[in-house]
Amino acid sequence: MTKPTQCIVCSIVANQIPSKKIYEDDAVMAVLDVNGANPGHCFVIPKAHYPILEQVPDAEIGKLFQVSNRISTAIFESLGAHGTNIFVANGIPAGQTVAHFTINVIPRKENDGVNLQWQPKQLTEEELSTVELKLKEQTKNIGAFEREEKKPRVQAPRQAVLSDEEEEYFSRQMRRLP
Amino acid sequence: MPEQNLSQEQLKALQEKISQMSPEELKEFQKKQCIFCQIIAGKIQARKVYEDERAVAILDINPANPGHILLLTKEHYSIMPQVPDNEISRIFMAAKSLSNSMLRSIDAQGTNIIVANGVAAGQRAQHFMVHIIPRKEKDGINFAIPQNAMETNEIEAVGNKLIAALGGAAEKKEEKQELPVPQISRPPQGEEFPTPNQSKPRKETSKKSRDGLNLDDISRILGVK
Repeated sequence: MTKPTQCIVCSIVANQIPSKKIYEDDAVMAVLDVNGANPGHCFVIPKAHYPILEQVPDAEIGKLFQVSNRISTAIFESLGAHGTNIFVANGIPAGQTVAHFTINVIPRKENDGVNLQWQPKQLTEEELSTVELKLKEQTKNIGAFEREEKKPRVQAPRQAVLSDEEEEYFSRQMRRLP
Repeated sequence: MPEQNLSQEQLKALQEKISQMSPEELKEFQKKQCIFCQIIAGKIQARKVYEDERAVAILDINPANPGHILLLTKEHYSIMPQVPDNEISRIFMAAKSLSNSMLRSIDAQGTNIIVANGVAAGQRAQHFMVHIIPRKEKDGINFAIPQNAMETNEIEAVGNKLIAALGGAAEKKEEKQELPVPQISRPPQGEEFPTPNQSKPRKETSKKSRDGLNLDDISRILGVK
């Protein structure tokens, strides 16, 4: 996969920007965030350049989150954290700031200034049913996950054929990313 | 876990009972106490939006946004570090597909994936789960992750503690990467210049010279520049 030169995360992967590496294998790298929420805050990244979650092949998703879980465990064991968060911001409205898929592993203690809470929204039964049906309509297309690596991921092959409107909406989503 | 008001004696008796349980009995007991295990078993109603042999996704009844999903392992794990690697892979592959479904079906413009381990991190239920939250611009959700610059010595100390806890993987890897360097230091005439074992040589753009080597020369030899 060609690496856009302007991606800061790719520059870290290529050792062009110095970093404190915590873990590395052929597909995954984990780096200490030196401007993190708490000491030990790490980001786990695929070495290949994928802007958003949906573009990361399943096999790499598996590896990335396994590494995240191991780092989370290591944070408990070695840093005496009271908790950990695994946090992904996927898309600009979700708070994504760099166009390279990133998993944050954040050590937590009480009153550390991290806020991942929300005010629950009150939905009527009807609203809940509508959203449930819409989601089910899509999730029924979720099929077997790819176990093999190497297989190049075709754009969303498991999803049913999209209507023109959906297709347009989805490609608009992609363009929104930096 | 359901709210329970136990007297001191009842609590003591319960603790006594738990301490005498075998691991299997304990697991069974935890399952009985866990509201999410009850949901998975179909004993408590929930709006299921996805199910496979390992995982169930339901709509959160206190959603951050409409369509907020809780993705649960069918097996009872209290906290993420207990979840085996193969289950982790599976559940996050499902999370990816569910996130994709949100973008397609309910006009989400982005998604957040959140796991909370421990009360300090916001974990409220004793069952491992992945939150998948559909996001839109100006949806009123204000997650905050403060940025605090670390001191250089702190970076080394914290980083090395984590590397050690992970079994020193990153250090070993770096040693491997340095292997080609002594070979490169040989005078670079001749075509039989040994190529490093790696298929893709690491780019060395740092100006810092290591063992008297000029890294600019090395990068030129490797064809980086």
